[in-house]
Amino acid sequence: MSARDEILNKLRSRSRQPDTHPPAWRSRRHFDDLAERFAESLGKSKGEVIRAGSLDEAFEQLDQTLLALGARCVVANDEPPLSQIDLAARWPGMQWHIVGRTPGDLRGFCATADAGVSSVVAALAETGSVVVTSGPGKSRLATLLPPVHIALVPESCLTADLYTFTAARQGPPPAMQTLISGPSKTADIEQTMAVGVHGPKRFIVILYRD
Amino acid sequence: MTEVTFKQFRSAAAGAIADPRLQSAIDGATLKFRTERHHALTELPDVDAMRDQLKAIRAATLSRLADHLETFERQATATGAKVHWARDAAEANQIAIDIARQHGVELIVKTKSMATEETHLNHALIDAGITPVETDLGEWIIQLAGEPPSHIVGPALHKTRQQVAELFSKEVGRELDPDDIPGLTAEARRLLREKFLAAGLGITGANLAVAETGSIVLVTNEGNGRLVTSAPPVQIALVGIEKIAPTWDDAAVWLQLLARSSTGQPLSIYTTAITGPAKADDPDGPREVHIILMDNGRSNQIGTGYEEVLECIRCGACLNACPVYQEVGGHSYGNPYSGPIGAVLVPLLFGLKEYEALPHASSLCTACLDACPVRINLPRMLLDLRRDEVQGRMLSPVERFIEQAAAYVLGHYRLYRLLTGTARIFQRPLVRGRFLRVPRRVNPAGERDLPSLAKRSFHDLWDEIR
Ligand code: SF4
Repeated sequence: MSARDEILNKLRSRSRQPDTHPPAWRSRRHFDDLAERFAESLGKSKGEVIRAGSLDEAFEQLDQTLLALGARCVVANDEPPLSQIDLAARWPGMQWHIVGRTPGDLRGFCATADAGVSSVVAALAETGSVVVTSGPGKSRLATLLPPVHIALVPESCLTADLYTFTAARQGPPPAMQTLISGPSKTADIEQTMAVGVHGPKRFIVILYRD
Repeated sequence: MTEVTFKQFRSAAAGAIADPRLQSAIDGATLKFRTERHHALTELPDVDAMRDQLKAIRAATLSRLADHLETFERQATATGAKVHWARDAAEANQIAIDIARQHGVELIVKTKSMATEETHLNHALIDAGITPVETDLGEWIIQLAGEPPSHIVGPALHKTRQQVAELFSKEVGRELDPDDIPGLTAEARRLLREKFLAAGLGITGANLAVAETGSIVLVTNEGNGRLVTSAPPVQIALVGIEKIAPTWDDAAVWLQLLARSSTGQPLSIYTTAITGPAKADDPDGPREVHIILMDNGRSNQIGTGYEEVLECIRCGACLNACPVYQEVGGHSYGNPYSGPIGAVLVPLLFGLKEYEALPHASSLCTACLDACPVRINLPRMLLDLRRDEVQGRMLSPVERFIEQAAAYVLGHYRLYRLLTGTARIFQRPLVRGRFLRVPRRVNPAGERDLPSLAKRSFHDLWDEIR
């Protein structure tokens, strides 16, 4: 008998009377101001939040952030709102790799880029997390290899918590979905916090009203 | 076959207790984990109800485990992942080695995974001529040191910064400053980054696997879980068959309590769900995803009084709560699973005879039960295992004799009074203050006091008072 059948048969022959599965847990969280809670929670885990009143203002904040970083090579996922503007024309002094559009070695570019810019599919207020996924134009490495990850987050994609996010799921999930709740960190040496061990050292969210 | 006999446990424990540096490392780490856990849980509304919900989910899932595993297999296969089944550790390791060989892989990057610790996958890979590199900083430290993990969540918490600096210095071939922890971390980032980009295969465990979508969920703070599942072209996930969440609603409860109970974070920095290989139009990601569902003794627990042990989500809260773990440290348990959960799980999976001492590595204070997000009744199972030892005649003849004699004496009142009366006289040369001097062999760490019999018994006093 195959290992599969052996294991399944054994489980079936040994199982007790099945319990009824409990009904789904629904969120009991309520936040008066989702954006405020999001910013507060993300701040606690060393993430940085910049608030903007509009999309235009968000792009201005992005200008300033990239300038302050002294960024010269930037990789960007090809997704709205980033795909709505001509990034290379806006920042002519910088070298841009737009995922799926710029030809050449994406992986090599990500490994040496100064920053990665992306959008998100959702943001959780309770835990200060954003959700990024894989897909056409959306690189996993772009938000992971560069030392800084900048995420553009419209307030309309805020939801209360993991439960409300999960309850709203539709269809099959993408191949990769990650909840990001701060910069990469470790406490493995004498319980001392150090940031940027494998992933980005800085995680900057530009949260804008839309 | 490893063993943890009473003698081995006692001497390992005595060694740990006599090591002040280790004691302060464990005290510091467990206190921090406990404090942060407390804050993170009390911040949640309805945390008690949520824990009840997780318990109900885990228990119900195990009662229909075969169905959920089939659903998982069907869904994962539909996404393009390949599902393998392994009866035991050797089969699981062999499957991983075969996949590595098919792809001509020489270098593997790994995330921290208790399942691969359990199967000693790294040894098997090295024997097969393949180099595995642990990428969780703590796991990498102990891999360099050639040691097993001493905590489910903080594998290297027993290591000092000096020891870490020494290990890293050897790797980079130059002297590193032990007091510069960010500097040490940066060196690790640089060195391991090269490995991520060069590896032909990534191996992960799974914090949980979601049946309804065939997804593998990985939780990390460092981002190595994301890298291992993004950079190499092939990925393998080794998953214990009990780690199934039927739906995402169930997974959400699990995740909501996992990080809070473990490190006291609301969520770990990265919670990653992998659902099959990269799609054709994805710009990057693994082209192949293999999932190995491993039994290795788990199915033996189904339908028995020990089924509950499979509800564990490996958060480590019971280790941090346990006064015995805090004294003896993880290595005394002789297995990667340590602390209260290890004391129950290890004898069940790997043999009560071989690990006879572990069910006794507890004061039965029930702190582990209070701490457990799934409310697993570890103290009950510790007692049941002790009962099994007695019924299976696994105790030494001397101990059996002593216990049977004690039972007889306690059951016969006159004999009891006669013997305690006599003992009161004969103990005199051994009494020091209010305690008896006992041979070193019985009390190796010299830390326990055996009270002497009081001058007058309670019976005598009671007669008088009345
Ligand atoms: S037994 Fe409970 S507390 Fe211990 S690791 Fe498992 S889930 Fe956590």
